[in-house]
Amino acid sequence: MCQAAWRPAIAGMGSSRGYRGDAPDDSRIDLIEIPLPPWPERTDEPIDIKRRRLLYESRKRGMLENCILLSIFAKQYLNTMTYSQLQQYDRLINEPSNDWDIYYWATEAYPTPEVYQGEVMDLLKEFTKNRNHEQRLDAPSLEYLEEESKKEMPSGQEMCTEFQKEMTSRLVYVRGIIMET
Amino acid sequence: MATVRAASRLLSKRVLSRAKAISTQYPVVDHEFDAVVVGAGGAGLRAAFGLSEAGFNTACVTKLFPTRSHTVAAQGGINAALGNMEEDDWRWHFYDTVKGSDWLGDQDAIHYMTEQAPAAVVELENFGMPFSRTEDGKIYQRAFGGQSLKYGKGGQAHRCCCVADRTGHSLLHTLYGRSLRYDTSYFVEYFALDLLMDDGVCKGVIALCMEDGSIHRIRAQNTIIATGGYGRTYFSCTSAHTSTGDGTAMVTRAGLPCQDLEFVQFHPTGIYGAGCLITEGCRGEGGILINSEGERFMERYAPNAKDLASRDVVSRSMTIEIREGRGVGPEKDHVHLQLHHLPPQQLASRLPGISETAMIFAGVDVTKEPIPVLPTVHYNMGGIPTNYKGQVIDHTNGKDKVVPGLYACGEAASASVHGANRLGANSLLDLVVFGRACALTITDLHKPGEKLTPLKPSAGEESVANLDKLRFANGSLRTSEIRLNMQKTMQNHAAVFRTGSVLKEGCDKMDDVYQSMENIKTFDRGIVWNTDLVESLELQNLLLNAVQTINAAEQRKESRGAHAREDFKDRVDEYDYSKPLEGQQKKTFDQHWRKHTLSYVDPKTGKVALKYRPVIDSSLNEQDCAHVPPAIRSY
Repeated sequence: MCQAAWRPAIAGMGSSRGYRGDAPDDSRIDLIEIPLPPWPERTDEPIDIKRRRLLYESRKRGMLENCILLSIFAKQYLNTMTYSQLQQYDRLINEPSNDWDIYYWATEAYPTPEVYQGEVMDLLKEFTKNRNHEQRLDAPSLEYLEEESKKEMPSGQEMCTEFQKEMTSRLVYVRGIIMET
Repeated sequence: MATVRAASRLLSKRVLSRAKAISTQYPVVDHEFDAVVVGAGGAGLRAAFGLSEAGFNTACVTKLFPTRSHTVAAQGGINAALGNMEEDDWRWHFYDTVKGSDWLGDQDAIHYMTEQAPAAVVELENFGMPFSRTEDGKIYQRAFGGQSLKYGKGGQAHRCCCVADRTGHSLLHTLYGRSLRYDTSYFVEYFALDLLMDDGVCKGVIALCMEDGSIHRIRAQNTIIATGGYGRTYFSCTSAHTSTGDGTAMVTRAGLPCQDLEFVQFHPTGIYGAGCLITEGCRGEGGILINSEGERFMERYAPNAKDLASRDVVSRSMTIEIREGRGVGPEKDHVHLQLHHLPPQQLASRLPGISETAMIFAGVDVTKEPIPVLPTVHYNMGGIPTNYKGQVIDHTNGKDKVVPGLYACGEAASASVHGANRLGANSLLDLVVFGRACALTITDLHKPGEKLTPLKPSAGEESVANLDKLRFANGSLRTSEIRLNMQKTMQNHAAVFRTGSVLKEGCDKMDDVYQSMENIKTFDRGIVWNTDLVESLELQNLLLNAVQTINAAEQRKESRGAHAREDFKDRVDEYDYSKPLEGQQKKTFDQHWRKHTLSYVDPKTGKVALKYRPVIDSSLNEQDCAHVPPAIRSY
């Protein structure tokens, strides 16, 4: 039987972003016919507990790309988010069942569904663009929290400086930015 | 399931107020089930689903929400000889897998896996997994590396079934959804600390609830470990930050062995530092690897295949370039993958994900600059030794002995189907087949509702003491420092390039790193959602895996599959298979290396003890499927 005789059934519902993606159609029937229980929003959780939980949930994701992206995002923004922003972030990282979707929305490969659009998604999209061309080589270590707990609310600028210092000590190679160690 | 969750929340609320009054005491809650599964990835969910369907009261303990397990990263597919694209036979798949394992795989387990593969895929389809289809409505199958027809003589086989580019996600979603209909109890965001062992019998697990800091002893007749691999022992790996070898470490602490941990698969092109995978497709489309002199060095190492040589050849070539001083960057510790000579249009249409990943994680514009890459840890062939039924085994007095009450499946286990090297798309198959095998074995040997043997009231005390010690640790070295030391040691001494003196140095350094855990410093003293504590517990687990890996690699004086040594370049089998066997003297068990490594660690000292166990060379049914005798592996 000639190998070229087969052809994918449907042209594809949206092009595949996957790396090994020469596979045809994705009917997504499993997502429709096997509904998972609705995501339980925690309405009476104190704000500091919510932050601690979201920190864990930002750092522990299904694939490396999201682990790095969300943990650096969390380091930069989590401690200064308001309660409503935290609720948006909670829904964004916990409700979708496929971690790749969050990555595709953040990189704007696919449009973000309405329910997840908002301030926090905008922050994430902008953050993902990496306009400063930083090297995002790994999830940051947690010591920034210890330093923060000793000070008052640090400014975004201070947090950026801390983050950059850490990256320098860990990896010497930072493109185009002259740092003093 | 909903009732269990609500009840434990109520209980935890009441208990929490007492806990606040007692500074370092922890509230302990006991649960009883017929079976407990640790880990909710592909293998764990398949096992939990299988047991629940068979009527067993099953618990599943997971530190992540099930659909966020690392299985979701899998985009490749599942191999099965369905024969939809061309005539196919599972015995050809069996041959490919045995050869791929470099004859270190157990042929009875490989026979089981490849024979069950078509039935397993059809079963998943019946559960609701929407495999991609051909025009005639049959499951679409595509080519994947290492898969051939007619025992290697019939050309490329197309046997990889997939669900578009989200096979891993679809598997998790389908199995999780189905298991809920059978009332599986999920303990989500609970960190399993240790096995509850009593006189060599496994009686359950003890876990920490991250939400409120309570300790839970989950007692069960049967425990299944499906916690995945331990890529995070290395500086550069493609795994998520959740791959910390929790299950293999739990088994080690219980005094049981781990098998073949020195066999770590490296993928040639992961982004330097971040480790995100850059697909082989880039090189397929014309991308080339460049050293500091701007040379396309693969031309020297593989004049014909060049950048498309097999993964282990490319990885080793890259490593040799770096060791000989031709690496790039200020530390000269990686090489470049150049794509900017390709038309931007081609990059955009054929490799859409690459440009984004390179910009986000390396700050590189692929149309102008090369991507920094390094051979990156991708998969662990080794793990908890089991037989083909999924039962964990120990090896005493030259015989395999089943450990009662304990099972393992998935990347955490070593059945061993992958031997010294894993073929692409065989991993998802491994998860599904052996997850199901564990469930079937338990269903065969036990009945739902069996009475549990009593558990000592002090069971799990040591785990709680360890937790407490870590939570209040006040040494001089931070968790992140010790972790970095371990990762750099593994990367520099036990990566693709392995040679005696480098490995020995690595073993000594790793011992120092292990000892330095005594000096660890954590800063978060809280008990609710304490990420620092969890990461420190994970570091303990990673260290146990790392010491076994590097010591086993140092001892194994041959090159086989993914374990390649510069000072022992050949495979050392019982016969020299490159020559006719007649007239050859068979080497004794001690003289050759075609055997499994079993490693034990004394957690207090970090000292590793090694033993060896023979490879199973006969299939389950020699009439049906003859075993494949060893031969020289060439493609």
